[in-house]
Amino acid sequence: MRPQPPSGTPAPVCGMSAGGCDGAADWPADVSDGSSLPAVELPRKRKGDMEERNSTDCKMEDDLSRSEEEDQQVKIKCFREPHRQIEKRRRDKMNNLIDELSAMIPACQPMVQKPDKLTVLRKAVQHLKALKVGTSSAFADSTNKPSILPQDDFRQLLLRQAADGFMLVVSCDRAKILFISESVSKILNFSLLELTGQSLFDFIHPKDINKVKEQLSSWEYPQEHMIDAATGLQVQTDAPIKPTHLSSGAWRSFFCRMKYSRVAGKQEEKHQLPCTAKKKDTSRYCTLHCTGYMRSCPSSQLDSEGDAETPSLSCLVMLCRPLPHGSPEPPKHINAKPSAFVTRCAIDGKFTFVEQQATTVIGYLPQEVLGTSCYEYFHQDDLQHLAEKHRQVLRSKEKIETQCYKFKTKYGSYVSLQSQWFSFTNPWTKEVEFIVSSNRVMSRGPGHIKDEEAGRLKAMQEEIPIIPSLSNGVGTMIYAGSIGTQIANELIDSYSRVNSSPSSGASSPFGSTNEKCPLVSPPISTSTAAIGASVGCTKVRHSQASSGGGAASSSSQPDSRTAAGASSATADSSGQVSQLDLDGMVVPALSSFSSDEAAMAVIMSLLETEVNVGQPGDYEDLHWPF
Amino acid sequence: MTADKEKRRAISREAARRRRRVESEVFEDLSRLLPLQQSVRDHLDKPSVIRLTLSYIRMHTLLTGKTGTKAEASHKVKCGQVTDGQMVRHEFNGGCGEEEEKEKYDADASEETNMYLRILEGFLMVLSTEGDMIYLSENVSKYMGLTQAELMGHNIFEFSHPCDHEELRNNLRVTAVWSGEKRDFVMRIKSALTHRGRSANLKSATWKVLHCQGRSKVCVAPSSVSCLLLTCQPLPLSHTLLSTQTFTSQHSMDMRFTYCDQRMTLLLGYSTEELLGRSIYDLCHTRDTNCLTKNHFNLCFKSQSVSGRYRMLVRGGGYVWVESHSAVIPNAHSSKSRPGANQPLCILCVTYVLRCVCGLWFKATFTVSTHFIELYLSK
Repeated sequence: MRPQPPSGTPAPVCGMSAGGCDGAADWPADVSDGSSLPAVELPRKRKGDMEERNSTDCKMEDDLSRSEEEDQQVKIKCFREPHRQIEKRRRDKMNNLIDELSAMIPACQPMVQKPDKLTVLRKAVQHLKALKVGTSSAFADSTNKPSILPQDDFRQLLLRQAADGFMLVVSCDRAKILFISESVSKILNFSLLELTGQSLFDFIHPKDINKVKEQLSSWEYPQEHMIDAATGLQVQTDAPIKPTHLSSGAWRSFFCRMKYSRVAGKQEEKHQLPCTAKKKDTSRYCTLHCTGYMRSCPSSQLDSEGDAETPSLSCLVMLCRPLPHGSPEPPKHINAKPSAFVTRCAIDGKFTFVEQQATTVIGYLPQEVLGTSCYEYFHQDDLQHLAEKHRQVLRSKEKIETQCYKFKTKYGSYVSLQSQWFSFTNPWTKEVEFIVSSNRVMSRGPGHIKDEEAGRLKAMQEEIPIIPSLSNGVGTMIYAGSIGTQIANELIDSYSRVNSSPSSGASSPFGSTNEKCPLVSPPISTSTAAIGASVGCTKVRHSQASSGGGAASSSSQPDSRTAAGASSATADSSGQVSQLDLDGMVVPALSSFSSDEAAMAVIMSLLETEVNVGQPGDYEDLHWPF
Repeated sequence: MTADKEKRRAISREAARRRRRVESEVFEDLSRLLPLQQSVRDHLDKPSVIRLTLSYIRMHTLLTGKTGTKAEASHKVKCGQVTDGQMVRHEFNGGCGEEEEKEKYDADASEETNMYLRILEGFLMVLSTEGDMIYLSENVSKYMGLTQAELMGHNIFEFSHPCDHEELRNNLRVTAVWSGEKRDFVMRIKSALTHRGRSANLKSATWKVLHCQGRSKVCVAPSSVSCLLLTCQPLPLSHTLLSTQTFTSQHSMDMRFTYCDQRMTLLLGYSTEELLGRSIYDLCHTRDTNCLTKNHFNLCFKSQSVSGRYRMLVRGGGYVWVESHSAVIPNAHSSKSRPGANQPLCILCVTYVLRCVCGLWFKATFTVSTHFIELYLSK
């Protein structure tokens, strides 16, 4: 079954019908040279195989060229181009070929003038004759089926160069290696002597032996183990066997690990049969992809033990290609050095995957960190720039480098990290699904930072009355975590905008990489709750968003936003405010907090900000419950 | 005046005819020197003769030429090397007379080549850095519907999908010094085969997806030839034998699970219910994101893909190295009321487990992360 390319794909798929992707005119018109001899003299030259398959145009040309010589006035039935141009193209093509030919023939090289066509052809004949002298006679005469490449060369080409594998013929009953091609010595470092006639299982990884046994055993067409690619399900056992199945039923494709020797040609290897139980098996294995067919081989030729009674031996003839040794090359943007570790977060910054080696750096075990927001570990000085980068990475296909920042370890101290962030976009849905972070340790924060940090936190506490009586940890963590959620919500919004395709022509306000975190306090502090207003502001922007999607970058936020109403006073025109200044946060409406619960209520309302957007005026009416 | 003109014209026409005759004779000589069957030779036009000559010379250079790197020098390629052949002779022949032996050897060698091609389940292609198909093995007709003689010497860009051209160009770039770079990519190629396997007009060609693997090769002397040696294989999923370490799964086009067979539960520990709706990206090691993305991309745009190795996390701890062969198929479970091109699609994956569970220290992490992911997704 050949799956057809899905018609719903976004990629432009060229039409495959009569028009073809290229016009027929672009088809290499391998017709005989129009000005050559008429049909009578060399009829067989008329038909290039290409021609028969080509457009009717070419056929037309051929008929015409037969009759005309230099006369351009010929009855033209139907043409896409004037005949003159077709002729010209043909001549040009021929000239190009002749040029290529002269480049390949050494005798034509030192010529001062460009040799003419006939000379080049004559030199080519001489060259071919010279080449044949030095080669095997495999294709000298046409008694055998000649081919462009002699068999040995072909084998070389296939096994050593292209496929980089070896051929293996194994008997099905005892897994005896009946034949193995010489190329195996380059791959496994065993000589043919060491392998031929041995049992295959001696060289297979112990855990793969069962797998290989299974592949060797089923000579009969085991229908219940087949999958039907049309439905993706297993073939029903009672389904009728189609004729094409019988041959493909003998097809095998599997992976297994085979032993290889580190040093080539070590004779001792031969005596160290794996069955002699060595306590510690220090053998190394490489993974091979084995593909091939079941065949029945006449046993008299293959089995040296010469069991003449057995009529035919089934054997498996396979091509074995090694997979690359070791782990696949790590992608360039992920740093694999030991002082680095990789993490993955959801789009709101919550960790979903943390490598084990992170523990040596951050102190936390991965499970202690999973599900928590990365912002909870960022130092407050870095919150602004990291939030900015967070925004950037969600909208960019490039990897984003952060500056150095501090990450809070389990013990309270900070470690200096620098990261590369890269967002993964689902190729199908085109939505960002997660962010991969490759983190590098820059230096370990000295202990005294702790004091400094404690002081800062205290200051922050005082100036952010939003969390007056909550302890350092929880309050700031929750607060910080909301930043990530905010940024994620913007992105999700942009997707729903795209999907609902609103009509507005205004450019997307949140596609801007210049845009700052919405929790930035405006220079003008108003009586409205800055945070609440920022939230409202964000929403306002959303409501006026166009279908620009996440990638659009616009640095000018037009008046349409400022017309939103009172909240617009706090609308952040890009570039106005440059930093997340928590100290400057003015939350007058919240300053009357006295209870934890109220504080929590506000926090939770931030966290649970609904994505659905109302009218611009909605947030003006927002009554904060305090 | 007119008579003179006529006479001159007649002379020039005669001269032209003579020239053409001579030229045709040289073409004849050339084609006779090419190792082709008579039937093929009879049907060659002049440009094809030149193309095939070029291929022949290039291949000869490739196989006998000196290469620039030490790595290549370690395995010298000699034209007519018979080391493999001797082995074959030993195995397949009983031990006959000299001449008979040689003939038998040739016949066996030919059979062996056929066997190689058959077990390869694909064809061999040698591409120049400009994309000329210098060499194609004979069985190319089985996959593309066009014969070796028709195709050799032409340019791959004429036969491959335009959207794959850039990737092809990137793969063709061979740096002069380093030989032996590996290549592994998927491309779409025109195939003039009908569903029944018959060759049709190229105008009604369909796209066939091929998995191309191989390496680059650079020859320095006598003339500089750099090229790519590739095996091109279609990717049939149909009737793949499922062994104990293989399982199938189905996904929606965004790679979220829609189905997995019970083998997956046995191998990885997840029940079908747990997986439905979950993205495969959640299930795999972050360092392999790139590999999975490329695989997904190939599926979306080329409809088939081979993933290469990546790690799948096991429920309850550790991970396994796996490789997936996938294809886009029409969703069999959808309603049949809309047949044809608008049928919703899904992805079918056959995943081979390469190695046993590794990284058991991963245990705690993943169990926890499953928990958190579930929490997160349930919001």
